Amino acid sequence: MTTHSTNAPVTMLDTPPARRRPDWLKGPRAALALPAWAWLTAFFVAPVGMVLWFSFGYKPGIFGTHANDRLSFDRYAEALSPTFFQTFQNTLWVGVTGTLICLAISIPFAYWLAVKAANRHRGILLAMVMIPFWTNFLIRTIGWQIILAPEGWFSGLLQATGALDEPLDVMFTRTAVLIGVVYNYLPLMVLPLFVAFDRVILPLREASKDLGAGRWSTFINITLPLAKPGIIVGILLVYIPLMGDYITATVLGGAKGNMAGQMVANQFQTAQNWALGSAMAVVLILTILISAAIAFLVAWLASWPLRARGRLVLGSPK
Amino acid sequence: MSHEQPVRILASSAASRMIAAQYNRRRFLSFAAAAAGAGLLAACSSPDGSTAPRATGAALEDKLTIYTWGDYDDPDVLAQFTADLGPAVTLDSFNSNEEMISKLVAAKGTSGYDIVVPTGQFIPQMVENGLLAKFNHDLIPNLKNVDPVFLGRDWDPNNDYSVVKAWGTTGFVYDKTKITRELKTWKDFIDAAMNEASGDVSLLDDPAELTGLYFWANGIDWTTTDAAHLDAAEDFLVNTLASHVAAFDSYPGGVAIPQSQHALMQAWNGDARIGILESADPDRWQWVLGNPATELWADNWAIAEGAPHPEAAHAFINHVLDPEVSLAELDYIGYHTGVAGIEDAAREAGLEMLDLVFFTPEQLDMMHTGEVNDAQQRAVEIWDKMKAAAGA
Repeated sequence: MTTHSTNAPVTMLDTPPARRRPDWLKGPRAALALPAWAWLTAFFVAPVGMVLWFSFGYKPGIFGTHANDRLSFDRYAEALSPTFFQTFQNTLWVGVTGTLICLAISIPFAYWLAVKAANRHRGILLAMVMIPFWTNFLIRTIGWQIILAPEGWFSGLLQATGALDEPLDVMFTRTAVLIGVVYNYLPLMVLPLFVAFDRVILPLREASKDLGAGRWSTFINITLPLAKPGIIVGILLVYIPLMGDYITATVLGGAKGNMAGQMVANQFQTAQNWALGSAMAVVLILTILISAAIAFLVAWLASWPLRARGRLVLGSPK
Repeated sequence: MSHEQPVRILASSAASRMIAAQYNRRRFLSFAAAAAGAGLLAACSSPDGSTAPRATGAALEDKLTIYTWGDYDDPDVLAQFTADLGPAVTLDSFNSNEEMISKLVAAKGTSGYDIVVPTGQFIPQMVENGLLAKFNHDLIPNLKNVDPVFLGRDWDPNNDYSVVKAWGTTGFVYDKTKITRELKTWKDFIDAAMNEASGDVSLLDDPAELTGLYFWANGIDWTTTDAAHLDAAEDFLVNTLASHVAAFDSYPGGVAIPQSQHALMQAWNGDARIGILESADPDRWQWVLGNPATELWADNWAIAEGAPHPEAAHAFINHVLDPEVSLAELDYIGYHTGVAGIEDAAREAGLEMLDLVFFTPEQLDMMHTGEVNDAQQRAVEIWDKMKAAAGA
């Protein structure tokens, strides 16, 4: 990205005007995207539209799930009332912390896997990351109940070794949910990061070294910026499903680890209040979008000095 | 919009058209809503009038799907049914009547469930809303085995749609190694929950059981629709009790009791019995029947409208009403099955912990059946808020 800034303004003028395509050709080409559009419309736009529509309605009675003959923002007021709002805050905490922990574990691990690990072991190591995925999500999560149980073997081990004085007390807390989501979503972070680091080829790192950069400097200035797309993909792949997860929270969180996904599921499955459930779902979507936007804005601003410095070093005729 | 009418236009179709006209401008969204809501819409329409039983005694289908409460049938009984009669049984479970009804409402006729197990008081409205199919009594000759006391209850006077599956009550279980004083009443339960067992309590994941807990403890009729009582219940449950709750678990007998996850657990009697029997150290657990008042619930076998395997469903219900099969069920689930003479048979067979299954007349006097009334929706809201507040 640093090289672009040095010559971009010059080349703009020399570029020949783009060859114009006759209009009649544009139609059929756009048609190539038709299956994708149809898919998106049927399975994304329409459902989200419906959720949006339901969220302005209300629940008419015990055997009705929603009615829209009277539209209002009342459901949003309900969804954002202090009782429910607290759950959105908790969800955000678990989502952000969980994603950061996944990132902190995955960056060194994926880097090691892509760069340091021996070639012949790489396949096996990758398989070891993937294989737990073959077991049902729910079963893997319930497995943690046994590990984290106050009278389970792990608790016994900690007490026997003197690490703990009393039985382990994390089941049915937000910490247990955090452990569960990190475990469940870690592969989704490792894989894109592995691919990203794998694509930062050796000659680039060697060149960096030849030009006098140390290991750390090479990692920060060369490897990490080139792996950025993979990092972003990993963050999104983990953060978005994690925010909507309710299985992990149900199994490990009990009453204390309540997450927004559970509230939404409760509205649809038990309370049969589709209007309130939809409003909560919309609030959850907005929470994810806004928090992601803020995170990227912060990251962009924070990396400003780094980018400015890069431009100065490579672009100035010193 | 007009497609959505059945949801609430049972009263007046003329009014519905006017309402529909008003919202024509929202055509696109309405269309989207209507398109995907199609299944639901059908679900909400009134029964189609086809009251004739669909099962005629033809050959049994090769499958049977039962949607029931958790851990509610002896696996051996199910296996025996498949071995004897053929249909392979698939089980799916729910936590509350509301959850089961919401699934049937959302997919009437397409839920794929053959047998459902609603609690008595929910049956009249389920019939009214076309969720249940009529029995063909000719295919259930074992109805004769049911104790007449449990036939013709007021929710289904002729047993057209349902027959008793099991009945039981609500109480709690506590860990004597963690709670050293003796707990006897719902008031004691609440007191322990807010003191020595704080953060170590589980409650049933069922709206009526939560409001019930408050009403039973405070001497209020648990079928009350009085707004002041409901407000008081909400205030106590959401603002006071919720922060002490560790889990909402309808089946602590499954995992929580055997693994000693909590010190104090609200539980149904049969589930408590399963848990205590499964526990490595049964003596540490104490069962207490809800006192001074508690619930009397009766769950019923019923066939879902649109059941894909009606013949097998009838055959299964007939099968479990056999006295011997019923005794095996009782031994496993720990609930009175309503079959005549079952209590004597159970005592004769020397089954364990029968004090959690059969009750004295004095105990029966403390139990009261629930109602589905105007407070129903409010109870669901309270349940909802309490769960959110517990996580705060």
